[in-house]
Amino acid sequence: MIHLSVRNLQKRFGGNHVLKGVSFEVNGPELIGLIGPNGAGKTTLTNVLDGAITPNSGTVYLNGERIDQLQPFEVARAGLGRTFQVTRSFRRMSVLENLYVPALAMGRPGNRHEMQEKAMGVLEFLTMDHLRNEYAQALSGGQQKLLELGRLLMLDPDVVILDEPFAGVHPRLMEIIYAYIRRVNEEGKAIIIISHQMDSIFSLSQRLLVLNFGDLIADGPPDDVKRDPAVIEAYLGTDEDEDAVPRAEGA
Amino acid sequence: MRRHVPNILGLILLVILTAFPFVYTGNDYPYVMHMLITAFFYAILASSWSMLAGYAGQFSFGHIGFMGVGAYTAALFSHYIWLSPQPTGLCTEYQIGGHWLVFVNAIGVTSTTLAQDCLHTAMAKWGESVQVTPMPVWLGILLGTLMGGLFGFLVGVLVLRLRAAYLALFTLGFAEILKATISAEIEFTRGQAGMEMPALFDHGITLFGHHFTRNDKLPPYFVMFGLLLVCLLILAWLAHSKFGLYVRALREDQDAAAALGVNTTRYKVLVFVITTMMAAAAGATQGYYVGIVTPNSLFLLQMSLVVAMAVIGGVENFVAAAIGAVLIEFALEMLRNSFTIGGFVIDMTVWRLVFFGLLLMLTLRFARNGLIAPIIAYFARGHVARETVAKRAAPGSPEVVE
Amino acid sequence: MALSGIFWVVIVWMIAWGAIGSVLIRRRYLAHDLDTSNAVFAGATVGAALGPIGLVPLWLTTPVLDRRFTVLPSILAVALMAVAFAVSHPNNICVTSGSFVASQITNGVIIGIIYGFMALGLTLIFSILGVVSFAHGEFYMIGGMLVYYITSVWLPGLNPLFAIFAACAIVFAVGAIFERIFLTPMYEGKIDRPVEYGILITFGLAFTLQYFVQATAGANPVKAARYFDFPRIHLPSAHDHWLIKTSRGSMELFNTISISNPRFTAAIACILVLIGLIFFMQRTWTGKALRAVSQDREAAAIAGINPDRMNMLAFAMGAMIAALAGALLVQAFSWLPQVGNIPAMRSYVIVVLGGLGSLPGAFLGGILVGLVEAAGTGCIPDAQKAASYIPAYGMIVLTLTLLLRPTGLFGRRFAGGAHGKM
Repeated sequence: MIHLSVRNLQKRFGGNHVLKGVSFEVNGPELIGLIGPNGAGKTTLTNVLDGAITPNSGTVYLNGERIDQLQPFEVARAGLGRTFQVTRSFRRMSVLENLYVPALAMGRPGNRHEMQEKAMGVLEFLTMDHLRNEYAQALSGGQQKLLELGRLLMLDPDVVILDEPFAGVHPRLMEIIYAYIRRVNEEGKAIIIISHQMDSIFSLSQRLLVLNFGDLIADGPPDDVKRDPAVIEAYLGTDEDEDAVPRAEGA
Repeated sequence: MRRHVPNILGLILLVILTAFPFVYTGNDYPYVMHMLITAFFYAILASSWSMLAGYAGQFSFGHIGFMGVGAYTAALFSHYIWLSPQPTGLCTEYQIGGHWLVFVNAIGVTSTTLAQDCLHTAMAKWGESVQVTPMPVWLGILLGTLMGGLFGFLVGVLVLRLRAAYLALFTLGFAEILKATISAEIEFTRGQAGMEMPALFDHGITLFGHHFTRNDKLPPYFVMFGLLLVCLLILAWLAHSKFGLYVRALREDQDAAAALGVNTTRYKVLVFVITTMMAAAAGATQGYYVGIVTPNSLFLLQMSLVVAMAVIGGVENFVAAAIGAVLIEFALEMLRNSFTIGGFVIDMTVWRLVFFGLLLMLTLRFARNGLIAPIIAYFARGHVARETVAKRAAPGSPEVVE
Repeated sequence: MALSGIFWVVIVWMIAWGAIGSVLIRRRYLAHDLDTSNAVFAGATVGAALGPIGLVPLWLTTPVLDRRFTVLPSILAVALMAVAFAVSHPNNICVTSGSFVASQITNGVIIGIIYGFMALGLTLIFSILGVVSFAHGEFYMIGGMLVYYITSVWLPGLNPLFAIFAACAIVFAVGAIFERIFLTPMYEGKIDRPVEYGILITFGLAFTLQYFVQATAGANPVKAARYFDFPRIHLPSAHDHWLIKTSRGSMELFNTISISNPRFTAAIACILVLIGLIFFMQRTWTGKALRAVSQDREAAAIAGINPDRMNMLAFAMGAMIAALAGALLVQAFSWLPQVGNIPAMRSYVIVVLGGLGSLPGAFLGGILVGLVEAAGTGCIPDAQKAASYIPAYGMIVLTLTLLLRPTGLFGRRFAGGAHGKM
């Protein structure tokens, strides 16, 4: 079973204390939403988990292996993958080539033929198989987002972190992304979704983590978190109405 | 079918270039051969640079420096190490089997006669009775190549964290330091006077019953041509393997590649080492061919020419870069003569460089992918565009998402 | 071991302990959640200057690494090198002659001012356009060439001031035209890889300009006549002039420090123009607009400033500054079409040392580099060898900067300009 253990992560940038002792555990294929106001430290937390940044202190263990001091490519190989807030596809490589890179890097599947089959399967799932030889830069923004998700499927990690997967995405595409998230979860992977889209987060997540300026102020099922006064004050807004549009405080 | 046109053309070119030395009978045979050999030399430099800069995205302006490393390593090797059947008693030497490996001392250019270093002094004593042999040329080339790879490794590691402009500056400075050191350490390198090197085939070579002297152009032609083909084959093999995929990925977005499991450090350094080894090999070979190597050959001019050739050919396609190099070298030679327009003498030796500078700038500005690469791409990728368009037009095909 | 070997032993010792210090101190600060931004630099300088004696207390007490821990150890390290040099080369002129050293330092500062000024142009271009102009040395060369040709060939006898002015105007125009044709597409999003494009296109311009000048003017060295003769000053009196003594071509201070006229006037001119530039940047609308764009392009655009026009202005000004430096120095040095190569390299080193995008950093960096070169060339007895190694000093400074403090002395952590991708 997947086990991600994050203990007491601290990160400072000069005088700016961005992560103030974040701790949580993930057991098994959970669907977790990570929310919080802008500047709360969500992307920093992702960067620390992924190895792009080294924490000042604290530890991260994935399936018993310590990963907080590893390089990003080592973290990827250990089983943690992520997407980026601003899509970063390999613009002047074809869609298929974009998908081959993580597969080759992970060495699975080992056989070139199987890798091609798997890539085509991923593309069909994302309804992008007709674009397979197009340069990534010719794709629309939404398609590029899907491409990033596809690359993660090829990477096949145990833990997936999606950074703002719904940002600027129109409803048709949303369906595909929802289907993607559910499929990945069914395959037994843990997913952490960072987003400001409250309705999506609340409908998808089994568990919510709320980050407020470096502190993890809530960790539990969405219904509980929604009613948590600290969360309401920091992020969701003080309107009693359940359908209220959440206001991001301290943006 | 269209896809194979570049390959067919390439094959035809190969055949022409292979047959040329045997077939051409003009009076200017040595001149044309020399021009071709130099063209191949530049082609090696341009294609290896295009792999480093265009393909891998590492815009290193020190490539000529690595060429110099290869050339000077070979020169130093051939100049200072000799094999003698008898000990000189004057030089540092080590006995190997029945011979002595002699290390000559450095006397620089200050001596008025060349016979003052320890080896020549001993030879003067012996007269004709003892024959010393210099180190084999192929060993010099090999050592030069390895040294180039070593320096390439060093530089590759040092520039790992440097982004574009810093990398360019640092590598430029590296080449400058190299040139400065070589110019300054006159004792060892003879400074601006340069170092002489033995010919590629000092005693000539006999092939298929025909004996070629050391001055014949045909053997060096095939050596350089062969080196070019080997380099292009290696580059092509790398480009089509997962190495090529990784290297392009790290050019496109290094951090994304790392997040997907690519060991970007290893591949960045590897691409440096491989391309610098090629440049060094070319340098050593050219040094032996020309017979002398000077620090002036590490000028900015050479680097700029290589850049121009690669860019005009197509900086991301190393075959296009190689072709660009050959064509530009031809053009440079053909434009060598001065001519007069209405009383003004135009000295083309310098103006042709201005012309190429302008061509470089205009190509960059208006034909970003170079002049030759698009032609190749038209044939190679042409089928892709057609396939996509066809699929979109077909009835029942899924609507394009967005 | 020969006495002179002592110097190299000390150097190796300093490098070794500097390396150890940089790694250890950074690790220590990282492990204790402390601010590591200065740790590498401080660790390296303390290690180099004081060896383990300095590193151990630093490692144990982990104080806040303010200026004390970076500036003081650096000075100590330099002093250590000087002492080692003096001990191991007792006959070297740098050691025996105090007046020589004083002269060298003064001249180093003077030429450093000019270097810094030229580097200013480069950093101006970078902070607004985000481009490192590889053609900077060529504009320098052209400035000098124009002044020479105007004053010696085309309009002989013309007051050099007009020639300098004309050279600046011409180069300004050339810079503006180049920017419009070749650089504008970069920030109109038409170019895939703008950073590499900027490098290549300015590289191409450098190549073209250098050979254009060689084609039109030939490869013979030229030099302009001295612009301005010093008035005769003898202080405090005509017989006992221990304070200042001037001849037309040079001046001598305290009977020990000898300063050449051309460099001195060039440095003064640079300072005057610098003051003018500061006034321009701080007090005029255009200057403020330039500074706005260098800090945040989009915000400036929203405020009504046309960033594209600022780009053109910045590039033209940067080129003009280089040309001015050349125009001032063509009276001091022998001018060839290749004369811009080494100053260009030097400008890059200065800009990295000072911090890309920092104007005061460029100036301070210039003076530092001037001093380093004065020390390097003055103290090596073999003149030819010393001259050959000039580019190497710059490279050593560049390497040290990139390794120890990549943002430079005053650099901003994230370079501004059009792309911020540095």
